[in-house]
Amino acid sequence: MNPLSIDPKNLPLVNGEQFQGNLSQILLLVILLGTAAYLLLQHGLVKSKMMAWAGGGLFAFAALMAFMSIPMQLESVVRICFSILAVAGGVAFITAREPVHAALGFATAVLSACGVMFMQSAYFIAAATMIVYAGATIIIFLFVLMFAQKSNLQWYDVQLIRPVIAAGVATSLLFAIAWSVSEPGEILPIKLDLTRPYSLAAPGSAPGQALPPVPESTMSQAQLSEFVPAKTSGLGRSMFTDYLLAIELAGTVLLVATIGAIVLAQNPERDPS
Amino acid sequence: MNHSEVQNLLLLGGILFAIGLIGFLTRRSIILMFLSLETMLSGVSINLIAFSRFHQNYQGQILSVMVLTIAACEAAIALAMVVSLYRRKATLDVQAWDELSETILPKEPEGDYIGMEHLETYPKLSPAGLDPRDQPMPSSFQANPNQPTSELDHKTSPIVSEVNQRG
Repeated sequence: MNPLSIDPKNLPLVNGEQFQGNLSQILLLVILLGTAAYLLLQHGLVKSKMMAWAGGGLFAFAALMAFMSIPMQLESVVRICFSILAVAGGVAFITAREPVHAALGFATAVLSACGVMFMQSAYFIAAATMIVYAGATIIIFLFVLMFAQKSNLQWYDVQLIRPVIAAGVATSLLFAIAWSVSEPGEILPIKLDLTRPYSLAAPGSAPGQALPPVPESTMSQAQLSEFVPAKTSGLGRSMFTDYLLAIELAGTVLLVATIGAIVLAQNPERDPS
Repeated sequence: MNHSEVQNLLLLGGILFAIGLIGFLTRRSIILMFLSLETMLSGVSINLIAFSRFHQNYQGQILSVMVLTIAACEAAIALAMVVSLYRRKATLDVQAWDELSETILPKEPEGDYIGMEHLETYPKLSPAGLDPRDQPMPSSFQANPNQPTSELDHKTSPIVSEVNQRG
């Protein structure tokens, strides 16, 4: 059966719910976030503990307001905890004076984001992100910090470049994101790219069996509406069939970056022999 | 996966992106700027995965794999650059490299270059050693280990006197 012969009209739409929150909630969230960011970044980094507590309280309140509209189940609670931890790690990252503390805050944020991805059943991505970011990147960054950082605090660690403008830009960006997300009908329901047949809902093939031609044709509508893209085998099949050229190009980019890093990191004063 | 979950995940991704943006715009240390970039990329990744779950296909996850690949490349190149830059100026301050933006260079002289002076100079060396055409060799330059060095009369050598006259 031709994979391109799926009729998208036969597929169920996941749409049906409208946005639950209202605009004033999002406005309040954005204003709170902006105020907290300004407080935390005012005149350098956090100077008094009172200001830090005030900023942290504002952030926690804003996060509570953002996630209040979810029905409370265990999965939602875990995801909310991961989200709050990710935001708190990010705030600790941009407000820490010591670069090592900032790197630890970054690790917290990225690991919590990996937890959120794990809750979204993107297991392979969560594991790879953990390995690449929290494993490789943080360790190498800490090595470079140990190599390059003097023992005492440098003035460029404390002084910031125009914190008010940066907080304003980020707040307006966040406001735009929140506005466009909260717009009803902005988030489109399921949309099929029929030129990529293996990336669609796929129940995976048994070992030793040829690739199933079009998995959707074997699934009922109810199965299809309940489908969760959780299988790493499905991800791999989609990766190496539909996106084979892109994956090969990504590998080439990795190779070129490796060569470039080796060339850039060479010491020019040392004898190459 | 309903609409409100997607909206919350998109908001989380946006918040992470905004935090990374603040960090990238304000911090002065090169390493922390690159960490801010990685934070922004993880926010984008959350966004993609939320849409992958919402649209029930793998395309968002594959795009997230691409983001991971580019993030790894960027980290490798950035660290090599940080090491190379630190070797030159011994600082992690990003504003030490403002001169790369060519804003503080003096203005180039406008107009044509015809008629400009030829400013190239060559080094001038003072003469040293002996002229082999001087025959016979002055007695003061002949190797005579028995003669004490204090009795050497440099004024008798024409070359040495010429050097002294030139200063």
